[in-house]
Amino acid sequence: MAHLDLDNVSAAYGALRVLDGISLTVNRGETVGLIGPSGSGKSTVLRVLTGLLKPQSGVVRVAGDTINFDRPAEIRKLRDRTAIVFQQYNLFQNLTVLDNVMIAPTKVHRRKPAEVRPEAVRLLEKVGLADKLDSYPDQLSGGQQQRVAIARALCLKPEILLLDEVTAALDPELVSEVLDTIRQLADEGMTMLIVSHEMGFIREISARVAFMAEGKVVELGAPADIFDKPEKERTRDFVGKILRH
Amino acid sequence: MDYTLQYGQIWPYVPYIVSGAWLSLQIAFLAFCGGLLIGTVCAAIKTFGGRLTRWLVNAYVVFFMNTPQLVQIFFLYFALPDIGILLSSYMAVLVGMTLNAGAYLTEIQRAGFESRRQSEMEAAEVLGFTRLQQIRYVILPHVAKVLFPPLSNHYILMTLGTSMAAIFGVEELTGRAFNVNAETFRSLEVFSVVAVVYVAATLFASVVLAFFGRVAFRTKMRIV
Repeated sequence: MAHLDLDNVSAAYGALRVLDGISLTVNRGETVGLIGPSGSGKSTVLRVLTGLLKPQSGVVRVAGDTINFDRPAEIRKLRDRTAIVFQQYNLFQNLTVLDNVMIAPTKVHRRKPAEVRPEAVRLLEKVGLADKLDSYPDQLSGGQQQRVAIARALCLKPEILLLDEVTAALDPELVSEVLDTIRQLADEGMTMLIVSHEMGFIREISARVAFMAEGKVVELGAPADIFDKPEKERTRDFVGKILRH
Repeated sequence: MDYTLQYGQIWPYVPYIVSGAWLSLQIAFLAFCGGLLIGTVCAAIKTFGGRLTRWLVNAYVVFFMNTPQLVQIFFLYFALPDIGILLSSYMAVLVGMTLNAGAYLTEIQRAGFESRRQSEMEAAEVLGFTRLQQIRYVILPHVAKVLFPPLSNHYILMTLGTSMAAIFGVEELTGRAFNVNAETFRSLEVFSVVAVVYVAATLFASVVLAFFGRVAFRTKMRIV
């Protein structure tokens, strides 16, 4: 069943049209990889799905419910169900690691700190940061910050996790730790849409891979099909260039 | 140049003068706190408000930044009674300085609001923060940190600005100096003592502020 459904969605930054009638479906519990050249609109898809960018046209459905982007209440509902991890982590610099994870559940969802704290600590243990609870983001490496961001996203118990180039800034040793975390989430049945340039990772983790160019999905299929025998010229071009490196 | 300094004559008045400094510090502190509150709200409105509210805030800021503070207080003290609003001299000075500070602190804080980190704002928005929560948990800690020096500076200026209250007969530091001067005519002695007390008062404020800044921003902020 479609958990996340974009139907002919277009979106623009000012006059710059970034999404040009894209359609994409992610089933419940499925992990879909989103690949494509820079500027193809991959991150923009995630911005639409978190309500940061209002589409100009098209339909976005979450678990069958059509989202009306003109209604703040519906955007709030969308945000309750989805969580995003940004490429640049976007942690709150003035808060400790633990507070970064706890602030949304306690201040936005008004849960008791005493109740949230064990969950936050458990999540931070899960991402290997149990000893950094009281550190500030600027005292951590990029990889550590990224794992805090993942813990922060998970602490809201989202149904759908959106990952935007989460391994782009990590050193190789930490990539595997983050990938383990994500793999575990996939096994637990989290619905995920993953934007990444890490082709090996995308290939391994995704049930399906969508190749995007010029604001559209050019080709969609099983990883083996997309990477080994792409049908479209444009996909072949991209995959060929990427895999040569 | 055959003036003979005679501090002996004003010596008995020194405790009276110095204790006036407390009133100066009090006016400066209250007006600054009030101004900070007004400035924070107005800076938020200037950054996020609608067209009408932004216009109202701009009108307020432009009016208070482009008229002399003395005239503003004159207006409150002498003009408002004509329309039935009577303020004591103390209240006129306090309200006038607060409104004036509000205008300046709006402009100072607007710069801080504009330097907010967009990445953190987006993270907050996606996590479901309301606009007020974004201001409270993302912008204000950032503003407090980067604007601490200019805000401290304005506070010191306001401490000195309280001397204007003397004109309205408020018995703060300068006001008491006026009184002693009128009784003893030892102007040089009286106002040199006053100068020393102002220096001491502002140095005291600077040290407290610097200490506060170190404690508050070295260890940063906790929420829970």
